[in-house]
Amino acid sequence: MTQNDKTINRRNFLRDGLWGGCLATLGIVAGASARKKRNNDLVWQIDPYKCIACDRCATFCVLEDSAVKCVQLYEICGYCDFCPGYFELGATVLDTGAENELCPTGAIKRTFIEDPYYEYDIDEALCIGCAKCVKGCAAFGNGSLFLQVRHDRCLNCNECSIAVACPTGAFKRVPADEPYLLKKVDHA
Amino acid sequence: MVANSHNENNSPQVQATSSWYRCTVATAVLSAVFSIVVCAFMLMNYGRSKMVGTADETVMLDLKSEIRNRPDDEQLLSQIRQFDLLLRQQRIRAVNRARQGGYLLLAGVVVFIISLRSAIAHKKRPPSPQPNADQLKEQVGNAKFSRWAVTGGLAILGLGSLFLATRAEIDFARAGAADASSYSMDEVAKNWASFRGPNGAGISTHTNVPSRWDGKTSEGILWKTEIPLPGNNSPVVWGDRIFLSGADPNNRQVYCFDTSTGKLLWKGDVLGLTKSDEEPLEMMEETGYASPTVATDGRHVCAIFPTGDVVCFDFKGKKVWEINLGRPDSAYGYASSLASYKNLFIIQYDQGGVEDEKSELIALDGFSGRVVWKTKRPVGNSWSSPIVANTGEQFQIITCADPWVIAYNPNDGAEIWRANCLSGDIASSPIYTNGLVFVIEPYSKLVAIKTDGKGDVTKTHIAWVSEEGGPDICSPLSNGEFIFMLATEGLLECYNVSDGKRLWEKDLEEYFLASPSLVGKNLYLLSEKGNMFIAEAGTEYKQSARCEMGEKCHASPAFADGRIYIRGIDNLYCIGSSN
Amino acid sequence: MRPLRNILFGLAISLFVTGMTTGVERFPPPDFVETDHVIPSPTSPGPRQDVYEYIDALVLLAALGLATYLILKKRSRRAIFALTVFSLLYFGFWRKGCVCSIGAIQNIVFSIFDPDYAVPIVVVAFFLLPLVFTLFFGRAFCAAVCPLGAIQDMVLARPVSVPDWAESGLRLFAYVYLALAVLFAATGSAFVICRYDPFISIFRLSGSLNILILGGCLLLIGVFIGRPYCRFLCPYGVILRQLSRLSKWRVTITPDECIQCRLCEDSCPFGAIKKPSAQWPEQEYHIAKKRLAFLLLLLPVLVFLGGWAGSGLKGVTSQAHETVRLAKQIYLEDNGQIVEATDASTAFRATGQQTKELYEQAANIRARFEMGGWILGGFIGLIIGLKLIGLSVWRRRTDYEADRAGCLACGRCYKYCPREHVRLKKMKEGSGKW
Repeated sequence: MTQNDKTINRRNFLRDGLWGGCLATLGIVAGASARKKRNNDLVWQIDPYKCIACDRCATFCVLEDSAVKCVQLYEICGYCDFCPGYFELGATVLDTGAENELCPTGAIKRTFIEDPYYEYDIDEALCIGCAKCVKGCAAFGNGSLFLQVRHDRCLNCNECSIAVACPTGAFKRVPADEPYLLKKVDHA
Repeated sequence: MVANSHNENNSPQVQATSSWYRCTVATAVLSAVFSIVVCAFMLMNYGRSKMVGTADETVMLDLKSEIRNRPDDEQLLSQIRQFDLLLRQQRIRAVNRARQGGYLLLAGVVVFIISLRSAIAHKKRPPSPQPNADQLKEQVGNAKFSRWAVTGGLAILGLGSLFLATRAEIDFARAGAADASSYSMDEVAKNWASFRGPNGAGISTHTNVPSRWDGKTSEGILWKTEIPLPGNNSPVVWGDRIFLSGADPNNRQVYCFDTSTGKLLWKGDVLGLTKSDEEPLEMMEETGYASPTVATDGRHVCAIFPTGDVVCFDFKGKKVWEINLGRPDSAYGYASSLASYKNLFIIQYDQGGVEDEKSELIALDGFSGRVVWKTKRPVGNSWSSPIVANTGEQFQIITCADPWVIAYNPNDGAEIWRANCLSGDIASSPIYTNGLVFVIEPYSKLVAIKTDGKGDVTKTHIAWVSEEGGPDICSPLSNGEFIFMLATEGLLECYNVSDGKRLWEKDLEEYFLASPSLVGKNLYLLSEKGNMFIAEAGTEYKQSARCEMGEKCHASPAFADGRIYIRGIDNLYCIGSSN
Repeated sequence: MRPLRNILFGLAISLFVTGMTTGVERFPPPDFVETDHVIPSPTSPGPRQDVYEYIDALVLLAALGLATYLILKKRSRRAIFALTVFSLLYFGFWRKGCVCSIGAIQNIVFSIFDPDYAVPIVVVAFFLLPLVFTLFFGRAFCAAVCPLGAIQDMVLARPVSVPDWAESGLRLFAYVYLALAVLFAATGSAFVICRYDPFISIFRLSGSLNILILGGCLLLIGVFIGRPYCRFLCPYGVILRQLSRLSKWRVTITPDECIQCRLCEDSCPFGAIKKPSAQWPEQEYHIAKKRLAFLLLLLPVLVFLGGWAGSGLKGVTSQAHETVRLAKQIYLEDNGQIVEATDASTAFRATGQQTKELYEQAANIRARFEMGGWILGGFIGLIIGLKLIGLSVWRRRTDYEADRAGCLACGRCYKYCPREHVRLKKMKEGSGKW
């Protein structure tokens, strides 16, 4: 059994005083940091307007299979026959040949809807987050393809390694109940 | 107790434990070896995906660009597809291997730890404290060494901070005061950074320029280099680099030459329009496919072509950006050269008629190609180039076209003043001297406008107008006292800057397409045949030399320290000596 | 109507640098006339639900409570070890080591200085609970709850004792680490504790190769030198040390009284057992008094020097902040000292923000680092001074005691004490009372 030295002397008084002081400090620190109303956790997300599609999202995530994937915002998509996010710039034949596709893993699926509209879907299992399609879509298309952190994969690290590596500071903390920063629809 | 431990190994109880011990040791060794092997495999996997992976990617890119050139090559096509499949399989395999390897390694290490610890637990001996050494000495010694260790740590921290803190660091507080985002205008003035040099005045800041050379004997000519594609644009010089552009109906290129040897350091291609349903551009022979002169800000060189392509390279030849402004609607073909101000490149994009409202003045950021500002111009198409003039209190971009001469603030593109005084096809660029801007209406007049006005100054700030005709191509030249005009047919005229009175004229009897230049007190006039007339810029015509180069010239020359750079039809010449 | 492909070829705009859109779409939305195709929406899988976060905090509380009971009351190394394994599995491999109490320091500090960031309640709990428990009961957190400590405890097979002077010298690093972590978190530059957490990639089974190597090396060292991260690197441990000194209840090697049998001397792998002090001769006492006086006078000098050095390092420490790095890159590019632009600098120029503004921001951040450097440099100076003083003060001790600050409450020493065996035998015999 542990026992305290109960003798009242200067050292013990000092120690008790310090002890009380520490307890009080902890209380103040708790109060100071908890005073801001925080309902729920914060998670990481990419601001698509700041992203320059540099490809670091694929390599810097601590997971082998990056938690950042491309999303397709169908409302903005032009459903173009020649999709600049799907096809290489110089593609002559609009087929699924490897020489014509931008995506290195073939994660974009092109489905015919009606003439001249095609729908483009992203297979997240294959997407590596390299942003080649994002670059093409933003430069020539409507910008409906952009990168987002997928929260069923993201570990929500205290300090996101991709956020550190991002050259434009496009990563920000957002509340967990609104974890996605999708682009706004803005038809010209 | 101590004696007992020696007998441990002999008792039968211990025999059994020792076989358990051997077992754990064996497991430990096996799992250690296993872990190391798995670790090595994972490192190999990682190394392969990093190093070989990047090499594979470049091969893929090369193959893909190859297929653009030969789209029907079946073999290449299947090669690409197979290679792509291979890459994808490798990537997935690498990811799987990493994950599986991780689990295996974890399992191996866990087994190792467990077996190691049980093995060690078996060899555990009861505590056996050694005979008590001199406790006092030990404790005092410990305290002393510890104090020294802490002091040592303090010393290390101190030295480290001293070393790190005394390194030179940028003082941002002071850096913010001066906007050093580009070379200062003084730096720019030392070079020939755009059409007709600093301020577009055609005046060389170096006076030690050669005054004699002969193309036939190559005397005075330091080097001559062939230019791959033709163009009417003038050389632009910065430091030890000369920039030109050249084009034909299908190709557009930007060139960089070395000033001391004339060697072509690099050439940059403009991708521009590839296949299109638009009709291919056809230019008049006189205008050519590369009329506009390039411009540089000391870091980037920017070129514009009559197809509407604008491209920017850094000094090493790497393309920084390329955009297309849309094909300009210009009667004789777009020919306005670029001007540069700080990090901006200024484009006078005049098109169509006044009523079409298509003309604009555009400023692009040299670093990114972003449109920093764009101002609509109430003018029709023109072929003059904008100049950036230092009026003493501010910089003004001065443009002339039919019918307005307009000055803009280069920082935001806002109009400062405008004067309605021209009509027709304006091809001569304006010049600024002594608070006055001079513009030429072809075959008609020379107008002098004061630059300190605001808004529409047509009625208030036109200093004088001389209606004794004027050239249709060459831009004027002034030394502050006299202003010179050079007609295409060869007529050189001299006027007074103060009142516009004509002082003298001289027929040089050759054709002139290049604009006149001033070096010190001398006029340098380059004829279409390639002959440079050097004369005094004074109250009467006094020719001091006529140097023949031996090749036709359409472009205005560029001047540098002890050098003249002249673009002939096919070659770039450097006039000067090697020191 | 030409196919859109050809129009695109005709345009052939290649924006090499910025892939940003300005929000206005180039192509109109599709008009499905033949099929009644409905435009789908992208999926938005949500993050881990909040309730699980609260469960983590409760598990932490329970583990702390259980650890305290096992250490102080039950005194069973086996049970403590079992709890350690559980903590390793739950907080380490299951929760992947994040959020941990060590990193929570940064969140707390960041939220104090950054008006936009509010730290989640669970993180505050992770920060406070171990501290409060330590303030009352000693370092129960370190014993059996911290996953980083747990993993190191697992690999400890052949403890080698570290000489006292090495221990004192190396521990300075933990204080410097804490100071830097607080500085970088307060200025919003980086969470260095998270960035250089050696064991996180082991918990995640993936991560940067460098951190994996660092973790591997530390574990390898940890096979011989007990808990190297905990003793010499952990910034949270620094705080726990001081609080543990003041704790109301603490670990004692003997359950009741010490008989100076010396059997526990080499039992602690972490060098946390203090031997009884020897008697000092008069001569030594005088020297010591003089030394103490000198060191007391030196203390304010050290604090000042430390603060001065800390503020002088602002050029180096401010580089941790990305705005300062960007400003430096822009400055060097503008002055022609660097030719290659980086993605960050090109993206900055494309935003059109004035470089003057950027420089102002960088200067402001530097000023904050200067202020922080004074405070934290002074803190380091204070620590060094106090340490030196502490090493000059002689405490009279008759028993073998666990070092109040350094004892990690692992319970390894209990079995070495004969009094402990007496207690266990009596309990086994059912005498009940102890």
